[in-house]
Amino acid sequence: MDMALPVLDEAHAAFIVSGVSIVVAARDAHNAPTVVRAVGCRVSADRRRVTVFVPRPQAAALLDDVRANRELAAVFCQPSTHRTIQLKTRDAAFAALEPDDLALIAAETDLFVADIQKLEYPGEVARALVAHAPDDLTGIAFTPHAAFAQTPGPRAGEPLGA
Amino acid sequence: MPNRLPIALDAIRECLDGTIPAQLATCAPDGTPNVTYVSEVHFVDGQHVALSFQFFNKTRENILAHPRATALVNHPDTAARYRIGLHYLRTETAGPVFESMKAKLAGIASHTGMSGVFRLRGADIYRVLDIEHVPGIELPTRPANRNLLAAIRVCSQRVTASVDLASLFEAVLDGLESLCDIHHAMILMLAEQGDRLYTVASRGYAQSGVGSEIPLGAGVIGVAARERTPIRITYLTNEYAYSRAVRASMGADELAAKLETEIPLPGLAEPRSQLAVPIFGGSRLLGVLYVESPENRRFGYDDEDALVAVAAQVGTAIGALAQAAEHSEPANPHAGRTPVSGAQVTIRRYAENDSVFIGDDYLIKGVAGAIFWKLLRDYVYESRTEFTNRELRVDPAIRLPDVSENLEARLILLQRRLAERCDFVRIEKTGRGRFRLCVGRPVKLVEVAGAAAR
Repeated sequence: MDMALPVLDEAHAAFIVSGVSIVVAARDAHNAPTVVRAVGCRVSADRRRVTVFVPRPQAAALLDDVRANRELAAVFCQPSTHRTIQLKTRDAAFAALEPDDLALIAAETDLFVADIQKLEYPGEVARALVAHAPDDLTGIAFTPHAAFAQTPGPRAGEPLGA
Repeated sequence: MPNRLPIALDAIRECLDGTIPAQLATCAPDGTPNVTYVSEVHFVDGQHVALSFQFFNKTRENILAHPRATALVNHPDTAARYRIGLHYLRTETAGPVFESMKAKLAGIASHTGMSGVFRLRGADIYRVLDIEHVPGIELPTRPANRNLLAAIRVCSQRVTASVDLASLFEAVLDGLESLCDIHHAMILMLAEQGDRLYTVASRGYAQSGVGSEIPLGAGVIGVAARERTPIRITYLTNEYAYSRAVRASMGADELAAKLETEIPLPGLAEPRSQLAVPIFGGSRLLGVLYVESPENRRFGYDDEDALVAVAAQVGTAIGALAQAAEHSEPANPHAGRTPVSGAQVTIRRYAENDSVFIGDDYLIKGVAGAIFWKLLRDYVYESRTEFTNRELRVDPAIRLPDVSENLEARLILLQRRLAERCDFVRIEKTGRGRFRLCVGRPVKLVEVAGAAAR
């Protein structure tokens, strides 16, 4: 398993840290889903580990679910192009922020705002969507076991690289 | 069964307008969560929303197996976020909700470069289980620059006070302009045959377009009439442009040949916001009130509600005024022709479609053409100038159905076309359900069998 290629190739790894819109979902013991917007993302150098950052006050139910069953789905979408991918994992776990994570998140936020402005949409609203108090953030780290193309069109739903 | 939600769904309707795409989380039977973008979450009523079903995907599979879902929506101006717990009920592939969503999606697709990719397969109807206001940074709401409730109140008063159909239409268009800041509007009536609408009044266009027609089902206006539901589009889209819609319907059926095409529809070349609201008299469709704007997202749910409220008043008033116009005093039989001067003008009528030409210039056809011809004949051969609505109704040559709103509307149409196209014939109201034909030049009437060759 460890010797297998990572689910994310270089292009997709670069894509998910390029200031895209990130939303994650989990589910409880009754399979009732919950969903929250993440404010940024980090990918490990070997592309096997992904960490998304969510504000805890917005994600209470989701954090409980992740703690309970470690299932997580994360969707990454570039608003201006609709290019979208979804990652799935069964090993999600909390991760502390690393020293340069806040700078990474700030840089991704600027790219996200710039992208949304291409759609003639006010930048301040885009910025508010991902605004957060740094102390509120937690990382959720995971190894994606599957990745799917979700860009609207005929290839939506196909595994990446298919 | 309706449980009261802690946050009313209609209080967060602005989040359900497709400006910021929503996200939808579902779960597979094996416990694998799934999350996807949804182009459109549509407000159905206080307990239900509809989500756009565009692609067969994992979401589809999941909700069919396990109906529980959760949507994340945002306020387009404040970024306020809400999680909406949902239970999938059914998918609709036709009808008012479907058509409303299809039209709105066309605007969203066009605005985001996805025309041809976004296609509504169905409207997925969900019951709302709960609404959670997610904490987070929110921008202040913009102060409203108009109060729609106050505007509806004044509009309603003016509508109710109107003494005839022409002043009613003016009251509505004036009210929209001065109270609601809506500068491009038209009122269309459903034609006697029920297959098309004709413009009877408009505001804000270089040409009034009065008399122009649109088939049921064509463009925003035609779809609103066919589905008997408001249709609202928040961005520019070619798909629902009425000029294009009318052209597309041409040649497709017999109606195309009968449709008024000499008079172009008024309308903005590139409307970025469009809203068409049906006008009902009781349960009968009478017409459509249509507004448009060169701005994106100009009309929201509140504007739609305001127009629906005004249209309800208009529908009731149209019925009452049409009834009143039928009970007119008899016309004055002693009123004679007034002197004429100038060169004689030939007025032709083509029997096949009742089209009337003054000299070489097209004036009108159909019911209004038949009415005009009856008036002219009575004027020329019986020297009559005074008429009543009632006698037109019973005249077999005009072929009006029993339902009465259209006679008055057709007279307005004729009166306006004459005002716009002919400087020596006019129609003057002389009282409730009575009017006078004023002719200023000598006229010669010529009947032509068949249709005008144009």
